[in-house]
Amino acid sequence: MNLTIKQLTIISGIFIFTGCVPVTYTPKPTIQTPTLGSPVQMSKYGYPPQNYQLTIKNYFSNKLKHASTAQYTFSSPQRAYKKKGFAYGGGVEWEGWMVDVSIATQNRTGRMLSPKPYMVLFKNSMIIEDILGNNHKLITKVTP
Amino acid sequence: MANFNTHFTVAATASAVMSAIFMAMEVITPVEAVIAFSIGTLGGLMPDVDSANSKAIRVGFNVVSLLLTIMVVFVKSSVYSIVEMLVVSGVIFYTLRYGMIDLFRKISKHRGMFHSVPVAMIFGVSVAIIMHLFFGLNALISWIYGIMTTFGYLVHLILDEVYSVDLGNRRVKKSLGTALKFYRLKTQSDKIQNVIIYGSLLALMWVAPDTMMLQNALFSPEALMNFWDVFIPHDGNWFFK
Repeated sequence: MNLTIKQLTIISGIFIFTGCVPVTYTPKPTIQTPTLGSPVQMSKYGYPPQNYQLTIKNYFSNKLKHASTAQYTFSSPQRAYKKKGFAYGGGVEWEGWMVDVSIATQNRTGRMLSPKPYMVLFKNSMIIEDILGNNHKLITKVTP
Repeated sequence: MANFNTHFTVAATASAVMSAIFMAMEVITPVEAVIAFSIGTLGGLMPDVDSANSKAIRVGFNVVSLLLTIMVVFVKSSVYSIVEMLVVSGVIFYTLRYGMIDLFRKISKHRGMFHSVPVAMIFGVSVAIIMHLFFGLNALISWIYGIMTTFGYLVHLILDEVYSVDLGNRRVKKSLGTALKFYRLKTQSDKIQNVIIYGSLLALMWVAPDTMMLQNALFSPEALMNFWDVFIPHDGNWFFK
């Protein structure tokens, strides 16, 4: 009897626990109004990010531990898409523009460290996510 | 051979130290350090899952069955109704927890290849792959969790070897050398097992996340300097900042 109650508790626990997790997360797209006269080329990747260097610097200024000492090196934006982890279904989670950035910061003793690569994912001009590293098996960079 | 409580205590202590070092080196955040600590502790219990009546096999199968059931529910929650999910998760949990455990007990032998270095590495690489491909974590943190698994596992194997030496009676037990081994080639079945284990390890490494970030963070001259920077207070101010 006790065993059955224990097993039922475990199964119910799984449901309660998983019920709280958003499984179909889709990033909110930024709605951009194109400048008058410019050609509207809305593709599934959206517009290339505008002022991406400043946007990235502002974003990381709140994220990095020693942001005031950070030195940035940017690559040009390129189209990419990211799949969800297989635990979340494996479908396409994000399509947009990605910027590879290298950021060098000091450590807590003040010594400058070698730059760390980050992939910054944009939807139009809004940062959706940053990922440490310059590749991820779930991200595919689309060559133009 | 050390008992469950000893293995748990030592694995938890060693994992706490290792996680704290990674956190001090700013390789992981405090939240990631807590997860790394838990994974290392669990890794320290894993080798005894080949012992038919150990606590470790029950804990191990409970955790793995729950994780796999939760994963399946994640995947199917947008498709199945609540009743369908209840039925499917119940079937999966019972099959894994109570069905597979009997099969596992039959095919595994205590102090067999589960107590070996290559299997410790297989567990670590598998965790890194699961974190990267299933949960989408970046390559560095996926490898940190993988390393913590292997670390906890190896702590268990070393502890078993330490307990093989009886300092009081000044003798070594027959179990010496059966835990921390790289291979065992006594029988034909052992040889086949070794081929499967090393073959699996190579196959997993092929799927595993990129190791470049890990090398830079932990196994580079800069990582060593980073460790030395935080090892002692170089400004001479101990404790009072």
